[in-house]
Amino acid sequence: MSVTIKTTINGKPVSASADASTSLLEFLRDTLEMKGTKLCCNTGECGACTVIFNGKPINSCVTLAADANGANIITIEGLAKDDTLHPVQQAFIDTGAVQCGYCTPGYIMSVKALLERTKKPTAEDIEEAVSGNICRCTGYAKIVDAIHLAANRIAGRA
Amino acid sequence: MDYFEPKTLNEALSLLQKHGEQTKVIAGGTDVMVDIKYKEEPGGLINIKKIPGLSGIQENGGSLRIGPLTTIREIETSALVRDKLPVLWEASHQFASLQIRNTATIGGNICRASPSGETLTPLLVLEAKAKFAFSDGAKSEPFTSFFHGPGKSSLGAKGLLTEIEIPIPAAGSKGMYLKHAVRGAMDIAMVGVAVLIIPDAAKNNLQDVRIGLGAVAPTPVRAPKTEALLRGKPLTAALLKEAAAMAASESSPISDQRSSAEYRRWIVEALTRRGLEQTWKAATGKEVA
Repeated sequence: MSVTIKTTINGKPVSASADASTSLLEFLRDTLEMKGTKLCCNTGECGACTVIFNGKPINSCVTLAADANGANIITIEGLAKDDTLHPVQQAFIDTGAVQCGYCTPGYIMSVKALLERTKKPTAEDIEEAVSGNICRCTGYAKIVDAIHLAANRIAGRA
Repeated sequence: MDYFEPKTLNEALSLLQKHGEQTKVIAGGTDVMVDIKYKEEPGGLINIKKIPGLSGIQENGGSLRIGPLTTIREIETSALVRDKLPVLWEASHQFASLQIRNTATIGGNICRASPSGETLTPLLVLEAKAKFAFSDGAKSEPFTSFFHGPGKSSLGAKGLLTEIEIPIPAAGSKGMYLKHAVRGAMDIAMVGVAVLIIPDAAKNNLQDVRIGLGAVAPTPVRAPKTEALLRGKPLTAALLKEAAAMAASESSPISDQRSSAEYRRWIVEALTRRGLEQTWKAATGKEVA
């Protein structure tokens, strides 16, 4: 059975139909052809599919697309303004926190949500915020550096 | 696959009465979506998230009442839960990842009826009750008898959980949830142990002790023999050793990809010992002698 989903993605109203069993990740990637959000484990364990859903980071692979009705969703495609990257994106580049890059969109969404909750995250805040994101290249130290850099730049400290 | 979005509890109950055997109830979806992708797709989904009144945390008549659609993150960040039910807070804090906690609901964790469900042993030691409904009436049952086996509970195919009622434990009690897993985040518990102790007024003896064991039997279970052994006594080193070994003997774990049964029994012993020792110290200010 097909359902119609009316939602807001990156500030723009979207309306499309999908099978009722469709996940939000499949809706983004396959129905809307927004490929920035990544499919990896498809079980809610790796965080590659993280999007911000009504202000909170969630795993889009284990969220029913139908639940997006009336919701406000931010994906990786919604961060850059024209040619200017979001400070979190720029910090990942400047610290070399991107290796193969597959986990990066998910990390960036988790970090964006973190820096909206707190301007000066502690080591504990950072660990909590990205403990649901796995980097198989294991470049964790540089990711943590990127988070500190982004936090400092957003707060005007760097 | 059929899809229903009931707007009222009664509508959901009549849908369950009619289609309960072929459909699955979905709330947060963090377990059901995985089943859809990797196991068999159900005949239909009944999405209960649009039903009003099934979410929130309230203190009322000496209990906290939690709506089944309340997310694990809402429980983790509730000052009321942290203050009144620290053992449930600890389990919520150790629950999967932030992304999952933002979506997963306590009702989903309960209705999944997994032996390793993170919030279940805390609910057992808090002597919480499930309130649930069928199309022909409402019921209430302690969680100590609510779980029947992996994935099976008193809800059957046609019941819907409507509230979790958790009595606030006596002043002076101390609770603790200990989880053993390889990774800090995301891992399913190999063993989970919840301990709640209530010392007597003079803080000399254990007036009441409740021990919940997770992931070591077909359902989350209490350890009644161990609790009886400890009740009314001061916690000495010899008693602590005997109690921890007895708790291990009361578990009936299986071997699976996460660990062997033998290893799980050792962990039950270690976590029970640690939980009793630390709650005794926190509740009485005394070391185990």
